[in-house]
Amino acid sequence: MENKFAIETVNLKKTYKGKSHPTLNGLSLRIPYGSLFGLLAPNGAGKTTAINIICGLRKYDSGKVFVDGHDQSDGMKAIKPLLGLVPQDIALFPTLTAYENLKILGGLYGIKKSVLEERIDQLLELFDLSASRHSYINRFSGGMKRRVNMIAGMLHAPGILILDEPTVGVDAQSRMMILEKLTEINRSGTTILFISHYLEEAEHICNEVAFMDDGSVICQGSPADLIRAYTPCDSMESIYLKLTGKRMRDTQ
Amino acid sequence: MRKFRYLLYKDYLLLKRDVAGLLLMFLMPAILVVLMALLQESTFQSIADVSVPMMLVNHDKGELGSTIDREVEASGIFKITRDIDGSIPTLEELEKEVASSRYVIGIYIPENTTESIRRNVARYVLATFSGATDLPPMDNVNFVVFVDPTTKASFYATIMSTLKEKTQKIEFTYIMNEITRQVNEISPIPISTLGFAGEQVHIDIRDARLQGKDLVPNPVQHNIPAWSLFAIFFVVISLSGSIIRERQDGSFSRLLTMPCSYTEYLLSKAFTFIVVCLIQFGLMLLIGVFVMPLFGLDSLNLGTSPLALILLALSAAVSAIGYGIAIGNIANTYHQSSVFGAISVVIMAAIGGIWIPTFIMSEPMRKIGMLSPLHWGLSGFLDVFLLDAGVRAVLPECGVMLLFGLVCFAIAVSFNYRRRLDV
Ligand SMILES: Nc1ncnc2c1ncn2[C@@H]1O[C@H](COP(=O)(O)OP(=O)(O)OP(=O)(O)O)[C@@H](O)[C@H]1O
Ligand SMILES: [Mg+2]
Repeated sequence: MENKFAIETVNLKKTYKGKSHPTLNGLSLRIPYGSLFGLLAPNGAGKTTAINIICGLRKYDSGKVFVDGHDQSDGMKAIKPLLGLVPQDIALFPTLTAYENLKILGGLYGIKKSVLEERIDQLLELFDLSASRHSYINRFSGGMKRRVNMIAGMLHAPGILILDEPTVGVDAQSRMMILEKLTEINRSGTTILFISHYLEEAEHICNEVAFMDDGSVICQGSPADLIRAYTPCDSMESIYLKLTGKRMRDTQ
Repeated sequence: MRKFRYLLYKDYLLLKRDVAGLLLMFLMPAILVVLMALLQESTFQSIADVSVPMMLVNHDKGELGSTIDREVEASGIFKITRDIDGSIPTLEELEKEVASSRYVIGIYIPENTTESIRRNVARYVLATFSGATDLPPMDNVNFVVFVDPTTKASFYATIMSTLKEKTQKIEFTYIMNEITRQVNEISPIPISTLGFAGEQVHIDIRDARLQGKDLVPNPVQHNIPAWSLFAIFFVVISLSGSIIRERQDGSFSRLLTMPCSYTEYLLSKAFTFIVVCLIQFGLMLLIGVFVMPLFGLDSLNLGTSPLALILLALSAAVSAIGYGIAIGNIANTYHQSSVFGAISVVIMAAIGGIWIPTFIMSEPMRKIGMLSPLHWGLSGFLDVFLLDAGVRAVLPECGVMLLFGLVCFAIAVSFNYRRRLDV
């Protein structure tokens, strides 16, 4: 059978050590090739945990993870070059300049020096950071850091790009810009897994979304299909609230 | 390989930008070593006044044995014991006494020493006068000097050398006199013993380097290796700090999502900091040789085996880096690692004899001190600096330090694995 999913998790379970409640409780996520996939869930629902597991940063208790058809339990070697991760928290070397950061991170993917330098220039230009390329990361504003953080995840032009809340703490202009770039990147063939709290954002750019709560997917489909299925709800936000209720999740 | 170069480049840049860390690693030890050497110069004089427990076993009934006894006593450095419950110990018993650390030094003067030397000289004189060109066979005269292995680390090596030199001088003078006396008995023409070489009667003066040197324990010879080791171990703070910072700023996780393994990550760190350690060490040696004399202190004597020095420095670096990596992985915050790292290194330095020679410590403390890798490092360096030890002689010390480093490394890796992956 041909593999249709860029990322597929099957009945993934994970309980952190010292926790009584499972964080992932049978998560089955299917992200088709070429999609711009929105994963939407309340705080503490386990989105970051799921991503960390997919990227091999955490072990899971049971279930299966496939990336581009590779079973993750066979090792990360084949998977790592395919994935580009833009983590929720800035993950850069603060005492290095933007350029140094990108050069080192890109270098680790084994990209040839000349190709890498050109790619860095392009991306810095694209995200409007060319002027501050030689400034230290710890002198950057929050929004600038976010953008460098994002570039770092796509230096090697990965087939699958995972973004964990990339637009948090970013002003409206930058957010528009980021969303626009993501759509562009997606159109050029990259599968994108996009995690966000801004539902209208997801509704706007995603061609498929999944709602997650209590460690598993509660519904999945294209925004249009979902709105149709959940009439009288007329937006992602109202569906989301209807499905997940108004209770706060990360306090439990 | 290309990937690894980027990791090294990263660690190099991180280090370069960590100004506080650099000052801590390079400036602090440099200042400390000069200060300590100056402060301790007087201390070392008074340490020489401390009575060093010695057992002197004299089986010789003749003149030579009693002269040595008298001279050693007169030096005033030693507290001499001559028997065990009234009986004079054998060679084996003496060795046991010293090995069990009841005495720091044991001297054994065998039976008939005076007699043997007298006979040797007589034979030599006769042979010379009968025109023989070959020397006749000589009786062996062997003094044995035992040194407590646990105090070897301190500058006891120096005291031992002083002692050896002293006994040999007495022996030599005695032989000269004996020759003069015997020759004058045979020959009516009085002869002078000037120009007579000691070797001809098998007085084996080893450590030729030590001849004619002032062998009072000297603060430079002790302080340079001591503070070099301290400096090498102080990289623990910077190293563990960098590991924790990278873990906290998320860059460590990011590296692991990339084609970069945890092992490669650690190797790059280890390599970078080994270079730091070697630079530190070189710097300290330069200070010992060139800066110390500017302060009116002696210049450091480097011994005769640069290879042994490099080997010791490398082993010390490996043990320090293993330790740093362990702390970096076990501590949760930068604060924890720097406080714990600093305090633990200071403790290891103290029990390892960096501040005060281990022989002043009590027996149990000395045993505990052997747990400190700094003790082994210091012991090795002093062997090279004071006794001209070569590579072979310092292999045990290197072995212990390497083992310490590798054990720490293993602990760090297993700890990290469980925490990182939450298994
Ligand atoms: N390292 C950890 N150890 C123990 N529990 C953890 C750990 N990381 C996350 N958790 C717990 O797992 C649950 C899910 O956390 P996770 O970060 O995956 O949520 P999230 O959906 O990404 O939330 P947010 O939207 O706030 O980023 C939370 O209850 C959190 O407390
Ligand atoms: Mg999250």
